[in-house]
Amino acid sequence: MKTPVSVLRLPRGPEPNSRGFDPNSPRYIALCPTTIPASQGNKADSVNLEEEQQLRSELRECFLRSLIAMTDKQVQFNLYEKVQVQAKFGASDIDVLNFQVSDLQTPLGVQKEALLRCQDMISYSFHL
Amino acid sequence: MAMRQTPLTCSGHTRPVVDLAFSGITPYGYFLISACKDGKPMLRQGDTGDWIGTFLGHKGAVWGATLNKEATKAATAAADFSAKVWDAVTGDEVLTLAHKHIVKCVNFTQDSNCLLTGGNDKVLRIYDLSKPEAEPQEISGHTSAIKKALWCNDDQQILSAAEDKTIRLWDRNTGEAVKTLSFEASVSSMEYIPDGEILVITYGRTIAFYKAHTLDPIKTIDAPASIHSASLHPDKDFFVAGGDDFKLYKYDYSTKEEMESYKGHFGPVHCVRFSPDGELYASGSEDGTLRLWQTAVGKTYGLWKCVLPEELSSENSDALYCPAAEIKA
Repeated sequence: MKTPVSVLRLPRGPEPNSRGFDPNSPRYIALCPTTIPASQGNKADSVNLEEEQQLRSELRECFLRSLIAMTDKQVQFNLYEKVQVQAKFGASDIDVLNFQVSDLQTPLGVQKEALLRCQDMISYSFHL
Repeated sequence: MAMRQTPLTCSGHTRPVVDLAFSGITPYGYFLISACKDGKPMLRQGDTGDWIGTFLGHKGAVWGATLNKEATKAATAAADFSAKVWDAVTGDEVLTLAHKHIVKCVNFTQDSNCLLTGGNDKVLRIYDLSKPEAEPQEISGHTSAIKKALWCNDDQQILSAAEDKTIRLWDRNTGEAVKTLSFEASVSSMEYIPDGEILVITYGRTIAFYKAHTLDPIKTIDAPASIHSASLHPDKDFFVAGGDDFKLYKYDYSTKEEMESYKGHFGPVHCVRFSPDGELYASGSEDGTLRLWQTAVGKTYGLWKCVLPEELSSENSDALYCPAAEIKA
């Protein structure tokens, strides 16, 4: 009767809410040029870095607030292949990959509930 | 003392795993990419199977996946009629290459500058990744869907296997077929070993070895069941194969004798590959899992720990997980 080989633990599985690629892993830090140009410089650039981060936070907050403002409003979506559709915006998923909409007006009729893929969109607009 | 193989199960995919590939050995170890019908290829640390990230973007089953040697780029082929190139460090999609039909396979040249694709439109395409908007070089000739295409002979030639039951060797520059091999059955898999210029192909129950330059046969081995994939160990002392009966088989390459067979998967095995250091091999199955198997059973490597009988009953064994039966992750 052979003894089975022991293991330290099982392989780690995927995280439920993330696509992974940990930016704090040694490989990421070593191989990825940072997206903030100012942080590649020396100490003198630390002021620029702070300013840039501040601006980025503001823009991000602006975007998130725009999604909130869009809730339950009629939104016009410009999609690829010169398609335009209109729908009532419900919500976005956490990674902004999909938008949940209601009463989607399509060339084929009205879809009561739908998910629009963000990668299919070129732009969208709505009245505040 | 002989030990029983403990395969490590990598979960996460929700549908059959149809292709897998290892990178070369990098300063951060080596990596493994898996293609899955759930459309979400995953990157894992090669020696532990730990999940690193999922490449999100394809809108259909992913049929083929590959990594470049340095594991900095990944490429995938999917049923959404596209091949995609990814940054394998950040997980970001870098390029989408639109095709006119399902794409089945992708392969980087050694310098990662060109990508070879093949699929159901029967045409091989070579993309220059430094000029992605440029039209790819096209090589036609196959009369059915292409299943697998590989660079070989220092990226000067291309090997392709298709549903038309042929394997063709093409000159990359002229686009002409240099040699064609015909089989009674469709080739299920192909592996190219640059060191030694060996081609490993599987069809029906047969695992066959050929000289990659000339397509001259070296040897063939028949397995107990229909085989979907096989891989030759870097030292060329043994090879592994898996297929319809859910088992992994290990054969001695010189004597052609079956050495071992392992049960573990709950569905047919679609792909199997040795790691670049030969210490383990990975298999992907219809059951939606990848399993890692030790080449030298009982050796301390990755998550496997060699434990002497005395150690098992001592206090030191707290950190160890000793499986009594099948591990289900």
